[in-house]
Amino acid sequence: MAGNLGLRIARLAVVVALFALWETLSRTGLVNPRLLPSASETLSMLGDLLQRASVRNDLAVTATEVVTAFALAVPCGALIGFLIAENRSFADVVKPLLFFAFSIPKSIFLPMFILVFGVGFAQKVGFGFFSTIFIVIMSTTTAVESVKLDYLTVARSYGATPAQTAFRVYLPSMLPILLEALRISMIFNLTGVILAEMYASRDGIGHQIATWGENFQMKQLLAGVVLVAAIAIAFNEMVRWVETRCSHWRT
Amino acid sequence: MQPLANITPLKPAPRAGTIELRGVGQVFRTATQDVTALDDVSLDIRPGRFVVLVGPSGCGKSTLLMMLAGLRQQTSGTVTINGAPILQPDPNRVGVVFQEPSLFPWLTAEQNVEFPLALRGTPKSERRARAEEALKLVGLDGFGKRHPHELSGGMKQRVSIARGLVQDPPVLLMDEPFAALDEQTRMTMGDELLRIWAATGKTVVFVTHSLTEAVYLADEVVVMSARPGRIVDQLQVSLPRPRTYEMLSGDAFGALRERIWRHIRKSA
Repeated sequence: MAGNLGLRIARLAVVVALFALWETLSRTGLVNPRLLPSASETLSMLGDLLQRASVRNDLAVTATEVVTAFALAVPCGALIGFLIAENRSFADVVKPLLFFAFSIPKSIFLPMFILVFGVGFAQKVGFGFFSTIFIVIMSTTTAVESVKLDYLTVARSYGATPAQTAFRVYLPSMLPILLEALRISMIFNLTGVILAEMYASRDGIGHQIATWGENFQMKQLLAGVVLVAAIAIAFNEMVRWVETRCSHWRT
Repeated sequence: MQPLANITPLKPAPRAGTIELRGVGQVFRTATQDVTALDDVSLDIRPGRFVVLVGPSGCGKSTLLMMLAGLRQQTSGTVTINGAPILQPDPNRVGVVFQEPSLFPWLTAEQNVEFPLALRGTPKSERRARAEEALKLVGLDGFGKRHPHELSGGMKQRVSIARGLVQDPPVLLMDEPFAALDEQTRMTMGDELLRIWAATGKTVVFVTHSLTEAVYLADEVVVMSARPGRIVDQLQVSLPRPRTYEMLSGDAFGALRERIWRHIRKSA
């Protein structure tokens, strides 16, 4: 436990040092403060921004888009991934194609999404969905394949129905990998939605950050970056915490 | 009045735990050839007997066990337990213990034992009571709340045996259950299994690679040959029970083990 605590302190020290370096560079003028406002100024700006109704509204818009895209992409991707993994010949046909699709940078399709959906909610949800679903499909396939044959044999020998096998064996057995998949999918999802907002949008935190950047409002821009980073890290850590609780399932 | 001898007696209903194999064959068809894994295997096992199947690798002893478990269908012949054919897994007639304990790591020991009951919708209180009883029987009283990763190899296999017994089937099938355990644990588990068997009166069909284990545990050792798998010998082990460690070094024990070894060397 002592080593664990030591690690935590060391990590915290690195973060503090980075902020201190940032503060120093800006204050001493080693880096132009107009280009890099100090850490303290940025953080106080962040406090300011969070008070503004317009910023809160942007955050709410982005959150709705992210949650909607995620709520659509995860079940769809999981279902497709499950069907692929369960069906050998289908998997042989589709899997390499999925890898091809996955390797393409999704951002090049963004203009098409705007043409199809216009600028708005659907465009961002659509693009978030599109950015996320491939990784969900592939992770689910891996998760299904990770289920030990032994477990299925046990279930079968005790007369489990297909539904019982799905819910009592597949699902819990896949859960650790699914959680990891969920975590990584969210990274893709958030990236997709924010990119779509920055590219063409009337609201959302991504749009706001892009605007601050264009207007050379560095304090606001950096505060926005810190904010989005904090939200993303918080979600990631939350899922990771659940993951560690069932880590011993992976044997 | 007809003479008594001419009256055909009604065939008595088979007692629970009777196993009958008649001309059982298994052919695996691959793209290039047919492989005969089992050929014309016939075997009768009376209720409450402890029968051990031995033979070289690939002799089909595990295949035979999987047929009894209903996990695999034979390509010819009949397999019956309690006088009725086994067409699919029937947990009311058969409990299975696998080589790997194959406990579900996300469930506690207790929940693992309850699993077969949960599948049939047995009420929770009854499930708990029966799991507790089964865990007590295998000597794991008080370990019900632990997860498999908190149990030793031997303890996991005890949980697996409890899971096999929880529905009180007349037959217990065991596929090399102690193969992954170290020597000492293996000996202890052998004694434990004999104790459980004596307490429950189950018919046990046990597959192993260890000839010592086979003779030590069995009422009867069935020796099989390599592909195609056939029964080449059936030995009655008349050593008294309870079996003791001292018997391992006795002449009778040695003679039986040697007889099995000669068959296996010949066919391997």
